[in-house]
Amino acid sequence: MRTVDIEVTVNGEVYNKTVPVNQTLLRFLREDLFLNSVKEGCDEGECGACTVIVDGEPVNSCLVLAAELDGKSVLTAEGLAKDGRLHPLQEAFLEAGAVQCGYCTPGMLMSAVALLNTYPHPTRDQIRKEMEGNICRCTGYTRIADAILLAVDKMEGQDA
Amino acid sequence: MLGQFELYMPTDFTEACALKAKGARPVAGGTDVYVNRHGGKDRDPEIVDIKLLKELQGHSYTEGHGLDLGALTTHRDIETWDVIKKKYYAMFSGCSQVGSVQIRYRGTLGGNIMNGAPSADSIGPMLVHNAEVTVAGPNGERQIPLETFYTGFKKFDIQPDELLTRIRIPDVPENSGSAYYKYMRRGAMDLALMGVSVYLELDGDVMRNVRIALTTSAPTPVMSHSAEAVLEGQKISDEIIIKAAEAVASEGKPRSSWRSSAEFRVRLLHDITILVLHEAIERAGKSFEAKAESIPMRLYPGQDGLKPRPKEEV
Repeated sequence: MRTVDIEVTVNGEVYNKTVPVNQTLLRFLREDLFLNSVKEGCDEGECGACTVIVDGEPVNSCLVLAAELDGKSVLTAEGLAKDGRLHPLQEAFLEAGAVQCGYCTPGMLMSAVALLNTYPHPTRDQIRKEMEGNICRCTGYTRIADAILLAVDKMEGQDA
Repeated sequence: MLGQFELYMPTDFTEACALKAKGARPVAGGTDVYVNRHGGKDRDPEIVDIKLLKELQGHSYTEGHGLDLGALTTHRDIETWDVIKKKYYAMFSGCSQVGSVQIRYRGTLGGNIMNGAPSADSIGPMLVHNAEVTVAGPNGERQIPLETFYTGFKKFDIQPDELLTRIRIPDVPENSGSAYYKYMRRGAMDLALMGVSVYLELDGDVMRNVRIALTTSAPTPVMSHSAEAVLEGQKISDEIIIKAAEAVASEGKPRSSWRSSAEFRVRLLHDITILVLHEAIERAGKSFEAKAESIPMRLYPGQDGLKPRPKEEV
């Protein structure tokens, strides 16, 4: 089995690693970097629990090879908090009760980050459409949408 | 788990062609290839990642010439491109309903064609917009209309040492409109149980250059030429639209699968054709007063039937 050398930035830190060519980004993040927020749900791109952001784009990390990452930048839920303070989205998820079992939450957060990059002031319909790739079996999604709208308010407050 | 394989990531086009010729499986977004590997359906010993080939990259629109799309153009590129929404609405509609946001950021148009699924959402819209594909190999380039590029279920007019490089779609006149309707059981992450795409131009009340394509109705995405002939050069009316829907329903040959019976799919074909014709006519600039109650729907007779999707989607 061949391996590939990659230089990848994850949550702002640069790593030089040697990865097997058949390793997924999901396995790389969990097993090599111990970033356990990245969850394996279906392992075939249906559920979105493994969503991370690569160069600004949300992707299912189970369908991306670690070998493709050379020169790229990855963001996971571990990289959201700044200076010991939770990201407004994380705070909002807690306050709005958008977390029940929590398994989908890191993926939801990453899709929400991508959503707010595209639509800083999303409507509820836009939230439902842009979050379509993340399955939650507990909340019924309403509180997740509430949380994202609450986070928008929080971020407005920060800017002011 | 993906299983064991050897991976190649060539930047040289001829090298990629040589790898494919000796049996390596080309992969772009990986949203089909890696899914099939995870499920154990697919165990190709060699994979060639073609994302680094510049021959397949980039996408542009030129007035008068239309779209030049690299095979690596993603569904998300199409979904978020204002030109597409304005001039090629069926393509916006198709590409924005593929999988999920995460899938659309990775999945490519070239991959959607070469995966060969009869339910592929981007293909019907590309067929009605008269797309032409370019395949290239060591012996040069060939241009092939997308319609004849499909030769059978997951079979294409392509040689082992050739790769699909570009997709060209002609420019459209102001008086044209196109639409795609995808019927699914849930709002996202689902395959098209049935889909119909329409492109037409309006000359006053008269429909010209009508093109209709069916998704999930045959071993490949197909055109419905008999329905096109019904509409070509005719004035818009409920009667002619019903005739076209009947022609589509008798030309489409959907099969029964665990997702739905063939009979249900034929009824869907009929009703979706009516909806999608209305939408395309409207997009061509004609506000069309359909006498809804005068159109017999087959799916839920006597009821309201299918509803058009909301006009402006995200």
